[in-house]
Amino acid sequence: MSTLVLTLLTVVLCAGILIGGLLAVMLNNMVSAVISAGLASLFASVVYVALAAPDVAMTEASIGSGLTTMIFLYAIRKTQNTEVKVTQPESEDSE
Amino acid sequence: MTDGILTNISMTEITVIISAVLIFFSIVFGIVRLVIGPDTVDRVVAIDLLTIVTIGLIALLAHQAERYIYLDVALVYGLLSFLGVLAVARYLEKGI
Repeated sequence: MSTLVLTLLTVVLCAGILIGGLLAVMLNNMVSAVISAGLASLFASVVYVALAAPDVAMTEASIGSGLTTMIFLYAIRKTQNTEVKVTQPESEDSE
Repeated sequence: MTDGILTNISMTEITVIISAVLIFFSIVFGIVRLVIGPDTVDRVVAIDLLTIVTIGLIALLAHQAERYIYLDVALVYGLLSFLGVLAVARYLEKGI
């Protein structure tokens, strides 16, 4: 019975991966998008543990959730932190 | 009491089930905060909450599978959630 409950919880984690991926695509603020990508990586790591692969889960935890977030934040600091609107065709003529 | 449904379930299993239900509600409310959070700080706190809940879930999975090498993953997460939240906080205070 407890195995069934934990299996259902793993299904909830897969839905969380989907929500994290959708938020990472749809959010306009870049830092929020990076955090949402970290959510997808976090839940993917737990699913790896549930699938009996703890070494893959440890690698996903250290790289996907730790290193990628810092590198993305460093890159956002070097560039703009908001999404740029697509320029209209008449604005290209002004250049 | 003798022919109830709970007589053939052990105490450990009841504990695991109750913990799994509580972790389920924590994950759902954390995801709700992450989705509707209007500010970046709300999402940082939500991802910190979800990381801590996830450490408990990994410990629960390690108990259920009776493989205590899984606890190393929880250990790595305990170190990395601190570093991740610290990096985002340094970014928001324009220090990185």
